[in-house]
Amino acid sequence: MAASLNSSESDRSSLGGQSASSRSNNRSLRVAEKERRRNEAEDPFVLALKYFSVVEAGTPVVGNDDFENNLVLVERTAYSQGLSPEAISIMLEFAMSLRMGTAPCARVLKCLIPASVVPQEAVVRAAVWLSVGKIPISTQVLFIKWVLTVFDMIDAKDQLRAIYGFIFSFVTEENLCPFICHLLYLLTQKESVRVYRVRKLLELQSKLGRQPFLLHLLSLYKVFCPELVTLSIPSRMRGAFRNHVSPWKAALTAVQKRNGSLAGSSVSPALAVRDKSGSRKRKHCHLQLPALTSVASDGARSEQTSSRTLVPLAHLQSFDQLLKNVHRIELPAQMGSLLGSSVALQYLDCIQDESALLRLNFWLGCALHEEFLFCGDGATQTSEALQFLSRLLSAQHFLQEGFSSSDAFLYKFLNVWDGSLLRPQILCLLSNIPVIPSSQIRKLLFEPLTQLFFTSSLFFKCGLVECLNNMLLKWLTWHSVYALEDDLDISLNSHTSLNITLSGFKDSVMELIHFVGHLASVGLQLEGCHALLLSFVLDFYETVCDTFLKFGLPLVVMPPAGVFYPAFFATDPVSVDRLAHIMHRYKVNLTSAKRQEKQKEQAFHISRQTFQEFNHCVVFMVNCLWNSRMFYPGSDVQPGEELLLGSGVPRYWASFDFIHHPAFVSYALDFHQKCWPSRKEMDLSSIKDSKPWSWYLDYLFSQGFDGLKDFLKSNISRQAAAVDEQQR
Amino acid sequence: MSLLKPFSKLPGLNTANILLVENQEQLQHMLADVLVKETPLTVTVRLAKSLPLPVDESRPRIDLVVFIINLTSELSFQSAEDSLKYLDPGYFLGKVCFMVTNARHASVPTERLDALRRLAASLHCPLLFAEDQTPEGVIGAAERLLTILKVSAGVVPMTTALYLSNLTRCTLPPDIDQPSFD
Repeated sequence: MAASLNSSESDRSSLGGQSASSRSNNRSLRVAEKERRRNEAEDPFVLALKYFSVVEAGTPVVGNDDFENNLVLVERTAYSQGLSPEAISIMLEFAMSLRMGTAPCARVLKCLIPASVVPQEAVVRAAVWLSVGKIPISTQVLFIKWVLTVFDMIDAKDQLRAIYGFIFSFVTEENLCPFICHLLYLLTQKESVRVYRVRKLLELQSKLGRQPFLLHLLSLYKVFCPELVTLSIPSRMRGAFRNHVSPWKAALTAVQKRNGSLAGSSVSPALAVRDKSGSRKRKHCHLQLPALTSVASDGARSEQTSSRTLVPLAHLQSFDQLLKNVHRIELPAQMGSLLGSSVALQYLDCIQDESALLRLNFWLGCALHEEFLFCGDGATQTSEALQFLSRLLSAQHFLQEGFSSSDAFLYKFLNVWDGSLLRPQILCLLSNIPVIPSSQIRKLLFEPLTQLFFTSSLFFKCGLVECLNNMLLKWLTWHSVYALEDDLDISLNSHTSLNITLSGFKDSVMELIHFVGHLASVGLQLEGCHALLLSFVLDFYETVCDTFLKFGLPLVVMPPAGVFYPAFFATDPVSVDRLAHIMHRYKVNLTSAKRQEKQKEQAFHISRQTFQEFNHCVVFMVNCLWNSRMFYPGSDVQPGEELLLGSGVPRYWASFDFIHHPAFVSYALDFHQKCWPSRKEMDLSSIKDSKPWSWYLDYLFSQGFDGLKDFLKSNISRQAAAVDEQQR
Repeated sequence: MSLLKPFSKLPGLNTANILLVENQEQLQHMLADVLVKETPLTVTVRLAKSLPLPVDESRPRIDLVVFIINLTSELSFQSAEDSLKYLDPGYFLGKVCFMVTNARHASVPTERLDALRRLAASLHCPLLFAEDQTPEGVIGAAERLLTILKVSAGVVPMTTALYLSNLTRCTLPPDIDQPSFD
């Protein structure tokens, strides 16, 4: 058995360390080969492998020093450099054949850390040993767990898929079932979904209850063949297969890191060529995306593709080629690789292949959970995580929507986030979250975010407001695209069956706007109305004020007083100008909403209160800036006359007009100097006269305060007309 | 064996005192190094393994008590829980917070985090998470503590510790494993 294995190995990779025979008839080569073999013969590791490949069945384990020494040697190599593909084959064969009984089996399995790839043949052969039936169940579980752990490193999956039915037969074994289901999930193709398999799984489900691992496999079956699976599957399921976390993972990572620089040279060229685009990347850094590889190994590929006429995505280089073959695409073995290839992303975008998205989401969910929520001992390498998230983000950016698994991950992650780990990436991911129903939004998003917002620095506050602004923009854009097609029932995401009504959507948007309003008011108060934070808040309200005209959503929400007054009393003219611009846009939106409401008598209705709030704000601004009447009946603050006189502020009612507002007083001074250069005495109130006043306004507008210009034009009709006349 | 009281002494001008309580004494030193570098405000950091503190008349008023809990250790959680009873109830009006490390570690049983959340929620205290493995994480954690400390020491105008804690106190998270949107 072992000998035949060796020869088949040598066919595959003639330069592999232990391959016995070279069929070359070149003499000098043969000499060199001899030399090499002599060197190898002295290598104790090679000897150890040789021992395991030829050891007789029935050799006792207890008191066998040879065995002990050799196994220790293999273990040491495995944990330091990992095992070569040939060594994996030999050791796996040794363990699973139980040549020395069941005792060493588990021990050997535990040290099977691959240095590069795992040969598929070895896995298939070992799987066959499972059915011989002498292996204890715990060891069988261990073996399947090992396969799951190294699944991404198995060099091809075609033969494993060929024995799908064989693997499926183990599903009835109760202890193995969760792990077998996971393995099947990774191997399932459309052809593997059969009626009798579905029936078997349903039968199991009625026996074991609605187990997540069964549901996950069934949901994949349902995607492939919806007519076979009539079962209703919950739209979001508990993360099912938690089978990765094991000592192997840690050992594997350690070995991969250590081998990082060596991998290129230590793997034989034959493998290197085949695997050039293969899982090499994943070897270096476990968080990097695997590269595109096709399912079948190279040798088998030619005949297989011709018979099934499928084109692996990895072979496509351009969009043109994708278009030509779009009806017969073969998905890669590792769905994660889709994220890294633009052609694959285009495929995902055009075809809306549900099974591809399901598998991709599954992979992504596992990867994100493992790396960010259930970390091992070694801290996650920030640079790796950074790269990974950037790739994910660029993929999401390309597809213009998030992945449901990354959303589910974020909801959990926000609850344990320190607010600074990978902040830009996490905030960016957060802004890609699709609309959440208003009943859930508070628990899922607002509560963790409130806690983070108020305990973090100013920069976090700014970042979060910006992120929520982007989120709102995406929601609104999404609405403006999909609402045209269907007025009431809009799908939450182009791939889920989750629907949300227009009023539900409006509720969610309103919740979000009110939430940011709350954060902004209190945040500005805590940070002493910091200009930076104010600027981000105004950014947000620039989006909010245009919801009706820009995005067609009949919803107008005014800023709370905690945002309006700090912006109005700001000492920098830019904030005041932007506030004026926002108020102007509110007016345009409200008037056009009112006009439409009258014309069409549509169902939508903007509440009276919104108009009142708006009028209140505008009246206050006009009174302050234009009429020099700080306090008037009906304003928010009405201190007593004596109190105002007692304050000793001269002409207190004019403190915030265009001339005396702290943001504009420097402009007034400058204007005064330019207007009357010969005057020695500064008298700002002389600007109030009608002629200099209109000049002063022109001067202000020439400084680029377009927001104020628009605001005045739309709100002060008489004067604006007069100014126009004067200009003519 | 005395209660630590929040209002028994007068505050110093432009000073803030923070007490870091950590059973394992790992993160508190790193945090202290960062905290004392804060310039406009004089920050005094006091370290303790657990409460109660020995009687010491010269100890200034403590503005914020931080319990640092390593989630991978049951002992750390137990010790913090035991220490809580040596605090005057007045502290729970915004002058106590919990800081958790290793929350994302695989070996943390979810029950422990849930128990801690319940504890923090019942005491109306904020629960902060910290990444103590990296220097950036420690600096980030120290910055967040400073944000709270400044408010509880009364140096941020227009706000009080009670007001802030009302906004930041821990809430029990939903069963996120199964967000059903129906």
